[in-house]
Amino acid sequence: MTVPALQITQLAKSFGGVAATRGVSLTIMPGERRLLIGPNGAGKTTLFNQIAGDFLPDSGSIELFGETITRLPTRKRVHMGLGRTYQVLTLFPRDTFLHNVALSLIGSEGGGWSAWGALKHRSAMLEQAEQALVGVGLGQAAHRRVSETSYGERRRLELAMALAQKPRLLLLDEPLAGLSAEERETVRVLLEQIPRDVTIILIEHDMDVALAFADQITLLNFGQVILEGTRAEVIADPRTREVYLGG
Amino acid sequence: MTGRQLAAWALVALALAVVPVLLPSAFYLGIATHALIFAIMALSLNILIGHGGMTSLGHAVYLGVPAYGVAVMTMQLGWSPVPTILFALALGTATAALFGVLALRASGLGFLMITLALGQVMWGAAYRWVGLTGGDNGIRLSGRPTLFGINLTDAVPFYIFVALILFMALFCLWQLDRSAFGACLRGTRDQPRRMRMLGHDVWRIRWTAFVLAGFWGSVSGVLYCYDYQYVSPAALSLPQSAEALLMVVLGGAGTLAGPVVGAIVITAIKTIVSSYVDRWYTLLGLTFIIVVSVMPTGLVPGIAAWVKGRRA
Repeated sequence: MTVPALQITQLAKSFGGVAATRGVSLTIMPGERRLLIGPNGAGKTTLFNQIAGDFLPDSGSIELFGETITRLPTRKRVHMGLGRTYQVLTLFPRDTFLHNVALSLIGSEGGGWSAWGALKHRSAMLEQAEQALVGVGLGQAAHRRVSETSYGERRRLELAMALAQKPRLLLLDEPLAGLSAEERETVRVLLEQIPRDVTIILIEHDMDVALAFADQITLLNFGQVILEGTRAEVIADPRTREVYLGG
Repeated sequence: MTGRQLAAWALVALALAVVPVLLPSAFYLGIATHALIFAIMALSLNILIGHGGMTSLGHAVYLGVPAYGVAVMTMQLGWSPVPTILFALALGTATAALFGVLALRASGLGFLMITLALGQVMWGAAYRWVGLTGGDNGIRLSGRPTLFGINLTDAVPFYIFVALILFMALFCLWQLDRSAFGACLRGTRDQPRRMRMLGHDVWRIRWTAFVLAGFWGSVSGVLYCYDYQYVSPAALSLPQSAEALLMVVLGGAGTLAGPVVGAIVITAIKTIVSSYVDRWYTLLGLTFIIVVSVMPTGLVPGIAAWVKGRRA
């Protein structure tokens, strides 16, 4: 039997008296495109934060490609093949696009900064960074500073930084948020082009794009899995309309 | 290195070299030497503040501890200069390695308070441990050493010695700025959470920066002891830490020239003005308020922006 890309078992987390995640179990197979939906505050990003290791769950376990990562620090999860983009952009605004991707590549080397030499002499790495930017259509913007670029370009930079690390499991938190119709189309095509050896979990409110992209959908509400199934099953289920599509 | 960079470094070397010609009196050259030593200290603190975003109020530890190291080894154990200097640098750097572990349990205000507390502990120890440190009386050296056949007693050779080390420090920190490590350190300053998600060990990056800052601080501490030929608890005091912080902020945190300019301005005000005015701390405070209100990012970035604005 194939080992799941991600297996979450009975995960629970509360902040003070508020239960943010209540007994969530999820199994995601390699190559899958999984969409997480649910109203605001349903616990989608909180779940991402726990998969990434921003904070530890109170109970339950998380396995990444068959290895338990429940209590591992974030950087070790990243070295095992976890990548993530953020809903709220977290870039290095004073630096160039190329520099942002370079930081991502240095991070995936794991302590690669032990090279104290000048960054600009690391030509192999910078070449790789440039390729990652070309891959999201930002080849020309490589030497522009983040602060001088448009929001749409920054969204694509987020994606380039995650993809440059060649993740095996990629968490995308609203990659289309705040984009124009035209930019959405660009990002949609980029997402389609990600090879199937990358497993993707997507949080997205743009249903046109998200539903076309996903194989499987999980509906969350109040930190619980309400429903899980194929696209057709979840859309047809009355509970989806009730809690999310705003019936 | 590009032609422009080479020219800039040649200019720095020239500027350092003409000072003894412009200031023939030993008194003024001595003040210039003090300024350069504090410039090294401010540069070391800038690794934390400017590049790492970690504001420390305990950096005097890395001035005072190695300074005491030099004084104790020289006067009480009679060590010769080279092993004394190596010991003092190792002592200061090891202190930073240990204190870094303690201070980096927190960030932001917590980090500041721990560095402050650790600084006060060391100050208290120097004050009270009379058998080792001489307490309030401090320790007086019997003179400056002879290193590699050069006697550093006179103002000119000592100035040249200090200027060479400052030049080395500037060069090393310039390299640090351009290295992958420097890029990671600034990354942890701006987006620590993102850095973790990119696979970086944020704690280790910060700790390494803390130790580096401790090492260069120790370099200034050794020079400080030989400069004044005297060390007392004042070298470990909170005002000394605050003064270093002021130098960095006044000159411009995160720039290479900023801490040097800040150190020169503050040493000049302190030494020259204090011979005319009693309340020089008041004057220092006023200078700080004026500069920070007119140029909030510090003198070097402020003047650079002003020059750019006039050209445009």
